[in-house]
Parts: sequence; C-alpha cells; structure tokens
Amino acid sequence: MIDQTPFTDLVESGLVGDPGNGSIWRVLRQVLSGHQLADWRADLARLQASGLGPAGLEAYIRATVTLAEQRGPLAALALAPCILDVGRHAGRAAAAALSEATAPALRHLGNQRDFRDWLDAVAELAAQGPESVAPVLARADSLLAELGAHGFRAWVLGGLRAGGGDPARRLALFNLSDPRAFDLFEQAIGDIGFIDVERALKAYLMALFRQKPVIRAVAGTPGDTLQRRAGFARQFVQVPARMRGIATSSIRKVYRAMLAHIGAHLVYSGPRFEIRRLKPMQVALVSLIEDARVEQLAMRELPGLFRLWAPFHTAGTDGGVTAQDLFARLSRALIDPGYRDNDLWVTKGRQMFFAAREAWTDPAISRRIGNLLGNDLGQMRIQFNPRTYRVEPLYRDDNSGLWDTDDAPPQISDEQDVIAETVRIDRTQDIDGEHDLKSSTSDDDAGRLAARDLRADDGVPVGKYAEYDYLLGRERPDWATVLEYQPQPADTTLLDRQVQGYGDVLNRLESLVGAVRVSRPARLRARTEGDRLDLDAAIQAAIDRRAGLAPSPRIYETTERRNRDLSVLVLLDISESTRDFVKGSSTTILTFERIATALLSQALSDLGDAFAVAAFCSNGRDDVRFHPVKNFNQPYDRDARARLAGLRGGFSTRIGGVLRHAGALVGAQRTHRRLVLVVTDGEPSDIDVADRRYFVEDARKAVQSLAHNAIDVFGIGLDGVGTPYLGRMFGRRNFVVIDRIARLPDKLPLLYMRLTS
Amino acid sequence: MTNLDDYRIREEPYYQPVGNEVVLFEAAYQARMPMMLKGPTGCGKTRFVEFMAWRLQAPLVTVACHEDMTASDLVGRFLLDANGTVWHDGPLTNAVRCGAICYLDEIVEARQDTTVVIHPLTDDRRILPLEKKNELVRAHPDFHLVISYNPGYQSVLKDLKESTKQRFGAIDFHYPAANVETEIVAHEAGIPTGVARTLVEIAIRSRNLRGHGLDEGASTRMLIHAGRLVAKDVPLGMACDAALVLPITDDPDMREALKDAIAACI
Repeated sequence: MIDQTPFTDLVESGLVGDPGNGSIWRVLRQVLSGHQLADWRADLARLQASGLGPAGLEAYIRATVTLAEQRGPLAALALAPCILDVGRHAGRAAAAALSEATAPALRHLGNQRDFRDWLDAVAELAAQGPESVAPVLARADSLLAELGAHGFRAWVLGGLRAGGGDPARRLALFNLSDPRAFDLFEQAIGDIGFIDVERALKAYLMALFRQKPVIRAVAGTPGDTLQRRAGFARQFVQVPARMRGIATSSIRKVYRAMLAHIGAHLVYSGPRFEIRRLKPMQVALVSLIEDARVEQLAMRELPGLFRLWAPFHTAGTDGGVTAQDLFARLSRALIDPGYRDNDLWVTKGRQMFFAAREAWTDPAISRRIGNLLGNDLGQMRIQFNPRTYRVEPLYRDDNSGLWDTDDAPPQISDEQDVIAETVRIDRTQDIDGEHDLKSSTSDDDAGRLAARDLRADDGVPVGKYAEYDYLLGRERPDWATVLEYQPQPADTTLLDRQVQGYGDVLNRLESLVGAVRVSRPARLRARTEGDRLDLDAAIQAAIDRRAGLAPSPRIYETTERRNRDLSVLVLLDISESTRDFVKGSSTTILTFERIATALLSQALSDLGDAFAVAAFCSNGRDDVRFHPVKNFNQPYDRDARARLAGLRGGFSTRIGGVLRHAGALVGAQRTHRRLVLVVTDGEPSDIDVADRRYFVEDARKAVQSLAHNAIDVFGIGLDGVGTPYLGRMFGRRNFVVIDRIARLPDKLPLLYMRLTS
Repeated sequence: MTNLDDYRIREEPYYQPVGNEVVLFEAAYQARMPMMLKGPTGCGKTRFVEFMAWRLQAPLVTVACHEDMTASDLVGRFLLDANGTVWHDGPLTNAVRCGAICYLDEIVEARQDTTVVIHPLTDDRRILPLEKKNELVRAHPDFHLVISYNPGYQSVLKDLKESTKQRFGAIDFHYPAANVETEIVAHEAGIPTGVARTLVEIAIRSRNLRGHGLDEGASTRMLIHAGRLVAKDVPLGMACDAALVLPITDDPDMREALKDAIAACI
C-alpha cells in the first residue's frame, strides 16, 4: 500500500483535490529525497499563501510531477520560485499559466540549462513586461518549437527593447499582432538569414551577370511552415529573410541558386508576358518553360550553374500524376540530360523544348510551348489547383515578375519602407567604393518623395545601422535609423561676437597653424640610408676606418617633410542636457560647444585639413538625429556659421548609431588618417531602453568597428564624473574630460592640434 | 660609366599586339618623345616595353617606383669607400649618359617631389642637373624616357601633376579582347586553349566586380599564374583560388562571391 501520509493532510485540508490515483504521490516520493520533499511542501504552502488558488495549485503539482519525472528533483523545485516571481509582477493568472505551460515547453527544452534559461526569460518578461506574460506562455509550445531556449530569451529581450517602455506596444509585439514582431522573431532564431549572405551574394550577382537590383528580404510569419519563394517585380527583387526547414549547411546554396536564377531572368527574360485569356495552369506552364529557357541560356555562358541548380530537381517517375508532380518531372527533364522519364507528356515537352534550341533566345517560345503543353494537360483532364500550386524546386522564383498584371504589386506599398530600403542599398554601395553618399532617395522614387507629405521637421532617412545588445552578445541588424535634419540657419552676429571674445585663443591658434602649415622639414641625421652624406658622421667613419676600427654604417642624412594628410569629422552632442546652464555662469553648455566648434573650424579651415561638422541627438531608435553643419566638400563660410548658430538642443543621446553613420561619412575620405571627434556632455541614453549600459556597450562596439576601418575616434567628455563610461566607450587613451566647461573653447582647438601633430 | 650591355634584351619576349601600339611607340622612339603607358596592372605594359626594347635593339633600364623613393634613388648619391667619398650614378643618370631606354614603372607611387626630377629631361633641353655634384649631364641622343601609370588608384595625393602629364604622349592599355587574351594565356602558361578560354571567362566575371567590392579584377598576369599551376596538374578550382581569389582580397564576402562565380564558370 503506498504510504500517502505525507500528502493526506494536504488532501484533507482541501489544499489539493484528491487525485484519485496514487501515481502523483508515487513519483514524488521516488524522485524527491526526504529533504527535498519537505522543501516541496513548503513551496506549496507558500504558493497557497500567495493566493494561487486551487486550480493553480493543482496545475503546479502536475507540473512538478512532470518535471520530477523527466528532469529530476532540482528542476522540479526550481519551478516554484519562478511562479512566485511571476505572480508578484504579473498576477495570479500569469502564475497559473506558467505551470500549464511547463509540460508543453519541456518538449523543446532539451536539458537542465535550457529549462533554467526559459524560466529566467519568463521571469525577466514578468519583471519588465508583465502584461505580456500570459500571451507568451499561452504560445510557449509553438514559440519554443521555432526558437529554442536561447532564441526564446533573445526574442524576449528584443521585444522588451523594442517595446520601449510602452505596455501597449510591448503587448502587440509579444502576441504577434504587430507586424514588426515578425522581424524580431526572425532575428531571434539565429540561423543564417539572408542578411548574413547578402553582401557576398550581391557581389556574386554582379560578377556573374553585371546586375545590381535592389534586393529586399521579406520576413515570414512565425509558424508558417510553407517556404516562401523569391520574386522579382519591376526593379525590386524579393527574397525570404529566412529559409525554414532547410539545413543550416545548405542555406547559402539555396540563396545562391535563388539569386542566380533571378539573375538569369534579369538578363534573358524579355518584356512581361500579357496574361490575356490564359488559364492559371497555362500561366504556370509558360512560366515553367521560361524558367527552363533562361536557365539554359545562362548555363551556356556559365556551365557551372548546372551543378548549382540540378541537385534541387529531385522529381522521379515513382511519384504521383497530379499536375504538380508532372510539372516537377518536366522541369527536371528540361534541365537534366541524364534523367529518364517515360511519361508521354513529359517526353513531348522535352522534345519540343530541345527542338527549339536555336530559338532559345526568343522568349516567345516559352509561350508557344507552354500553351501547347497546357492544352494537352487539359485534354488529359489532369486537375490543376491554382491555390495549392507552388513553383518547384524551391530556388525558382514565384514568376510574378514575368506577367503583366494591371494592379501594382502589393509589395511596394509602403513608401517609407521603399525609401529606407533604397537608402540602405545606397549606403552599401558607398561601402563598396562608390563615393557619393546619396542622402535621400534613388532617382526613381524622387518624384514620389516630393509629392509625399514628410514628417513635420523633415528628417530624411539616410541609413539603417545595426545596434549591439550586450546581453545577447550580438548585433541586431538595421536596428537604428539615422535621419538627417537640416539645421535652420540663424543670425551669426552673436556667435561671431562670442568668438571674438576669445581673442587670445585665436592668436595662439594662428601662430600654431602657421608653424604647422609651413611644415618645416626636419633633418634626420646619422641614418643608414639617406639622400646625402651626414658630413660629421662620414668624417668620423673615415677616421675609424683609418684607425682600424669598424666604421658605423649610419653616415647618411635625409630631410623629412611632414605632410598633413587627415580628415576629421566633429560630432557635437546637442541633447536636452546641453541646454543646462554651466555652473556659475549664464551660458549654456550648448553655447560653449558652439563657440569651441567655431574656433576649431576656423583653425581647421586655415590649416587646410579636410573637415566636417555635425550635431546629433536622438529620439528613440527610429529617429537618430543627425544635423550636418558642414560637409567635407563645403567651405567653412558664412552659411556654415549660420547653421552652427542655428543648432538647437533637445532629445536624448544615442551615440552608437551616430558613430556608425559618421564612420560611413568619414570612411569615404581617402586621407591617410581619419578622425572622428565626439563632444558629449553626458552618459548616452535614450527613451526606449532603460538600461544605460546598453548604450555605452553599443557605442563601444561602434568605436571598435570604426577602428576596424582605420578610423580613429576621440571623445571629449564634459561630464566631470564621466571617466568610467567614457573610457569604456572610447578606449582608455582616447578620451579626455574637460570638467570646466567654460574652458572648452580654449581647450578644444589646442587639443586637436596636439592630437594631429 | 657603367656598361649597359647587361641591360640589353637578348631574346625576343613574347608579345601579342592588340592595336597599333607597336607602330606608335616606334614613331615616338624615333622622335625620342617621352611616352606614358596607361592601363591597369598586369595587362602587358612592362612586357610591351621589353618587346620594344628588343625590337629597337636598345638597352632597357627599369626602375620600380615606390613611395619611399627619393630623387637620389633615381639620380645618384655620394657613397663612402676606402678612399673617401665617391659619387655613384643612379639608374636614371646611367640611362641618360649611356643612351638607354629608362622605364619608370608605376610612377604614380613615387612622391611628387621625386618625379619632378624628370622634368628637365622631358623637354627640348634633355638635360639632367646633378646639383650635389655640380654637373650638368646632357642626354645621350639615344636616351628615351618611358613611364607607366595606373589610373585606377585615384587619389588627390597619388596622381601625377598636370605639368608632368603634359610632357608625355600616351598609349592606353586594356585587358586584351577575349580571343587575344586566351591566346596569350595559353602561350605563356603552356595550357590548352580550352582551359585558357575558361580562365578568361573567369577573369571577365572578376572584372565585373571592379568598383563593386574590388579595386581591380583579375589581371592577365594572374590568369597566367593560374594557368601555370594548372599546367603543373593543380585542379582548376584550386589554381583559381590561389592565383585569382586569395591574392586580391581579404574580405570574406568578396572571396565567397568570387569563389562561387568561379564555380559557375567551370
């Protein structure tokens, strides 16, 4: 007889319903030691005291039993603290939901570690996004199936970040009703996505076909098992952002085959076919023949493409005889000369196609052959279901780009998206070596942009940059959007007068600049190589030789002329805090920054160094504000000073995105040294993430990525206590703190001279 | 005076004309007009000069220019020997004295204050002042100045001064047309025409990436390298990797794109 004594009191007290069978108790007694059993009972009591309710308690017991059976005692005991946490932050219903979700979740949580990670992620969600706990737990099964434990945590953190402190927005993201949720989802999955292979594949397309279309990666719906096809329409190409159900090792190959196939279309397909009165089956068939035709033409030039495409054609004669099957077999017959198929229709198609070999360059044959084959199929009464038809194999496009339909393709509906996308493409081009950074749109869309009503202060998106999440240890691609705002020019009289007030700095700068510019040649003596003999050393060497000693080989001297070959971009922090007055004066921090920049710009202009000046602030990750005051190719004239005078402070400080954008601008300069000088008055922060360290770490990553491109970054902090975070962001030796801000105008230009001498 | 016999070219170098460059150069040589050969690296400029030197039976002094080159490297300097100081002529002075063709290869690499040394040689005076020696060398009647110049690496600093450019006549060099290039590669590497043809196709794809991730595509010289590996029984893919992909870029995305593009051509 099973000893149920440890539990009878529970049953009697009504704490739990009588489960009837003793299996629950048996498991618990088997798995939990006496000590652990006592702990479990204590947990139960605590849960009851927290107000969990009988249903909740029952769910908890069942969950612990499952855990005990499948994962052992420690896992079983780990559940209660988490439930208490969740209950405290998110309420009873959520706490109960956690127990319910445990058993289905366990199916996807392979080991002890994964289970703990999942519990931690749920606790974190409860603490920072309590309203979203219930919907997330309700979907635990499908979410974990897609994401795995690590991906789940990444997704939760990403959602919390993206939600930005707004409960309604968070909820929309976590219950997947916000379309942006899909992006988040895909990023969290962690497999190779298109974004990881994009650059290499774009170069591949260029190398093979000299084509450079705009390529957009489209996110799929979570839980959507159907794998999307790629497509092309007008000047856009779409590819799925992620490939579902494909082994990681094959993902690159699939994308490559996709793009090569689309490349073949771009080169060899003619104007769009008119649908006229073709039935769906005929449309599908004509598309199929066209696919085969462009592939054959491409393979004539690039025979290796056969090895890329052929392995995807796996149809065999042992399959069924639906339209879908026959199409697959026909496709294979048209590409694979070694494939034997005895079906009459397939054979006929193959013969017709290859008989037209000489005419393959004419797109009309696709229509002709496709129509004929379609008639045959119709007569054979083979059913074709247009709704379930999918183009096979999976690397081929969905053929939407081949046909002339009257309605505009739905993909190009969101203009902002289009513009941002084109801008991103332009930015990528810039990195590839073409030096003009288009700051707005491509030619095609310029007209549309003018007609559209831009936001009130006219910020133009100029780039999307990744952002680094130190908790995840990964970058989120295209996370922050930088927008360029043209500063309003203002009257320069006041600024000019303020600058004149620093007369002695001006004088000192003038003489310094003069000295540097003349760049007096330095004589370097006693060298092993040089233009001419160093007379003293030569005489000494001759004497040594006569004396029988070994003469020194350092008998030459040479003249070295230091050339100044550098570009510098000055970034000014104009966040809200710069509107504060400096202690003990009636001038704001921003004013001092302005004066200092004016002095520095004057010096730079006299020196002849290439320089640019811009101000920055931010309002969330979608609005990282970049205010150009002077570009590299503009002179430092009255207009530039007017723009400098017109800067107004406001918003927050999201340094990482600004640095990356600055890196793109400076990166285009071809000087020996490239420098970004950042003047900031405080720790970076923004409205959508509470964790300050996030921005510091992201800025650090940005500085490192600029260093990787041989761009130096130097920080000038105006915060007296800023040393820890400044050092973290810029590096131990690449920052300086000017705590008496009133001295900034004196110190900034001299600092620059020292840095660059 | 140095004996320039060492600089004479004994055997005919293999060179396949692509246009009228041979006729043009001969005419320029007759007039002793300074010539500039412009074109991407590895497309046959140096080989052409060697061919012409052989054809014209002139000694050829070649100087490979680089950023650290000073005027003394070209013109000469004092050295210290057992007896005291002695003047040593540089390669340019040698050629000027003895009447050789002086070929300054990749002149854009040298600093501008170095290249101005050649100015007095490129106008009617044809003199080379050696200030340190207090000597004015008048050019031998057979002296001829040729420079090569790769216009690809444009930069404000690394470009010839206008005053320098205008002293020269120029011949443009490009990668040869596909059939010609195939013949050259087949001959120089010792491989069958079919393989050479494939290599040329690969080069065309790689040159498509010029300005789109690569500074230059594969040059003819690189194709010959790849061909020579193939002639030694290295598989084509591996030879292309070693000679066409790995040397020109370290960017992993570009390498991947090139390797895939090569796979598509084979």
